Amino acid sequence: MSLRGYIIRRVIYIVPIMLGVTLMNFTLINISPGDPVIIRIGLIHCETEDCYNAAYNREAISMGLLDSDLYTVPWFKRYVDFVSDLLRLDFGTSWYYTKAGTGRPITQIIQEHAKYTIILNVVSFLMSLLLATAIGVVSSTRQNSFWDRSLTIAMLLGYAMPLFWLAKLIMLVSYYLFDFTGVAEGDAFTEPILLNGQFYKYLILPTLALTIGGLVFMARLVRSQLLEILRQDYITTAKAKGLDSRAVIYKHAFRNGLLPIVTIIGSSLPGLLGGSVMIERVFGWPGLGTIFLNGALFRDYPLMMATNTIFPFLFLIARLLTDITYVFIDPRIKY
Amino acid sequence: MATIENIETDEFILDEKTLREIETMKGAGQWSIVWRRIKKDKMGMLGLYIVIFLILMAFASWILLQFDTWLTKPEVGLLWGNPDNPASLNNLYIELWIPGLNKANPVVLFNHPTYQFADQVKLPPSFMHPFGTDANGQDMLSRVFFGATNSLALGFIGQMTTVVIGTVLGSIAGFYGGIIDDILQRVIELLYSMPQFILMIFIIVLFEDIKVPGGKYAVVVIFFALIGWGGTALIIRSNFFSLKEQDFVEAERALGASDLRIIFKHILPNSLAPLIIIVTLGIAGTIFLFAALAFFGFGDATIVSWGDDLNKWQDQLLEYPWMPMFPALFIFFTVLGFNLFGDSLRDALDPRLKD
Repeated sequence: MSLRGYIIRRVIYIVPIMLGVTLMNFTLINISPGDPVIIRIGLIHCETEDCYNAAYNREAISMGLLDSDLYTVPWFKRYVDFVSDLLRLDFGTSWYYTKAGTGRPITQIIQEHAKYTIILNVVSFLMSLLLATAIGVVSSTRQNSFWDRSLTIAMLLGYAMPLFWLAKLIMLVSYYLFDFTGVAEGDAFTEPILLNGQFYKYLILPTLALTIGGLVFMARLVRSQLLEILRQDYITTAKAKGLDSRAVIYKHAFRNGLLPIVTIIGSSLPGLLGGSVMIERVFGWPGLGTIFLNGALFRDYPLMMATNTIFPFLFLIARLLTDITYVFIDPRIKY
Repeated sequence: MATIENIETDEFILDEKTLREIETMKGAGQWSIVWRRIKKDKMGMLGLYIVIFLILMAFASWILLQFDTWLTKPEVGLLWGNPDNPASLNNLYIELWIPGLNKANPVVLFNHPTYQFADQVKLPPSFMHPFGTDANGQDMLSRVFFGATNSLALGFIGQMTTVVIGTVLGSIAGFYGGIIDDILQRVIELLYSMPQFILMIFIIVLFEDIKVPGGKYAVVVIFFALIGWGGTALIIRSNFFSLKEQDFVEAERALGASDLRIIFKHILPNSLAPLIIIVTLGIAGTIFLFAALAFFGFGDATIVSWGDDLNKWQDQLLEYPWMPMFPALFIFFTVLGFNLFGDSLRDALDPRLKD
């Protein structure tokens, strides 16, 4: 089968999984105790019962729980409505993020904030990948040297450190050294962000924290993979025929070590995404993670539903990309 | 027999050290070999010491707290005071009452973790309060010591329930295969397409009003068990797939053994090593996850645990660093200890995986 056929099949495969995920979220919201309408109108203070009932009915209709004749809408019809709205990229309006009294469209909120998450994650993912490679190569080629030992211990300590606490400690150190906590504020996010010097200043600390978070995870992996490969016979052959050690490591060892590394990184992406939520919260970074946590703290159901559809979607896309990179790394794999 | 062995060892030139090692391994059971391997690993032993220390601390604090509450109860009446009234005299401290001594002056060990001393607010670490006191006037040492019970117990219970559910489902899927296996795999794929941290927050928010005995953390543990079993199930399933094709299972089946007998007597005991590794390494992950949930405000502020203390004092880090630092340090040591010990256990149980 051709590569294109494989990619098309994998893209189509995302559809049932996304349906399953949205159905799971939808069911969870439906079986949870508490009436979402009451949560929604908790702030409305009505003197009379009529006023309250009118407000209740109005909100229930606008949320799609009741139809215009005040009959309960069955759950499967609401789910179909949700999915058809989803296909038109319409997530409804937020309860927490409001503008002039009415909720803002969630699609718009996400559009504004997604770029911050993407910039932060892509930059720190690439940096941790590069650093993990460098550390892995250094410690595996000089096994049991001083550098190897100290790097391994540092990685072990970093691995045991809770990511959110690492972010706090980075804040503390930066505060004492530079009098700068890195908590995003003020003029950091004036458009256009890519030309804004302040934006890069506030990007440094979150990126550092997230990079270390990914790095400690990947460096251990790269080291153990490379160590296993450097023991193989073909490495001995390559050395014996007089190749210099750099060519041995990067041409022979590293390319063969990549496949298992890519597999494990691909399966650990949800963890990295969860880490990004923590980092965003600690530094007040206005990405999707902060949006999600705010929505959760204020019980903004439509917003939670939207972010919980987008996170799995991003993850599935990322896993699709890892699967496709296999083909380029390992010529033996044929689809 | 002996002659054959001698011939074999004569053929290979073995150094004295290896010979001695073979000699000690002879006749030893699997677990004594594993223990010997762990003992050689310095990092693993360090991890084991940390784990043992923390477990002892959790048990000691639990027993001490129960004992103190029991002594103060009116029907026991060994110490004066009312356990339900936090301002009651004997609830201020954890005391030891030695029979024959005056009831009014028991031996004071240290502050009660939930009692607030208004005159001991925000004190830096000193001789009286080695870990300082927090903004409520509670002794941090006492909070950290008594928080060990809840923090470790939650991690342990959470991990054990996921492992039990995962083992049962993984065994069924791995043994019978077919459509059950397909369904299980699709469900796992679904559960694992969401970051666990995000899914847990989503569920906690939705179900925070639910009334179950045990408070908010009971909900957290129940749902953690319901969504977290996938990893265990996959490992047990693949173990079953490879083991059920082995000759000893075939032989047992030929003898007429039932499915249950084959599963419980033959395949599960052979899957014990991965299960032990999953539990040890998983506890670290679970403690970290629960601490993270508490840190971001999805815990239960009314109970004494490290994560909740961390949540309460996280913003005091710049001004009063000792308040959040000690709970965080203990979470760090717990995760470190379980990780070190788990890694070493994995290498000892399955030397093929060693790097």
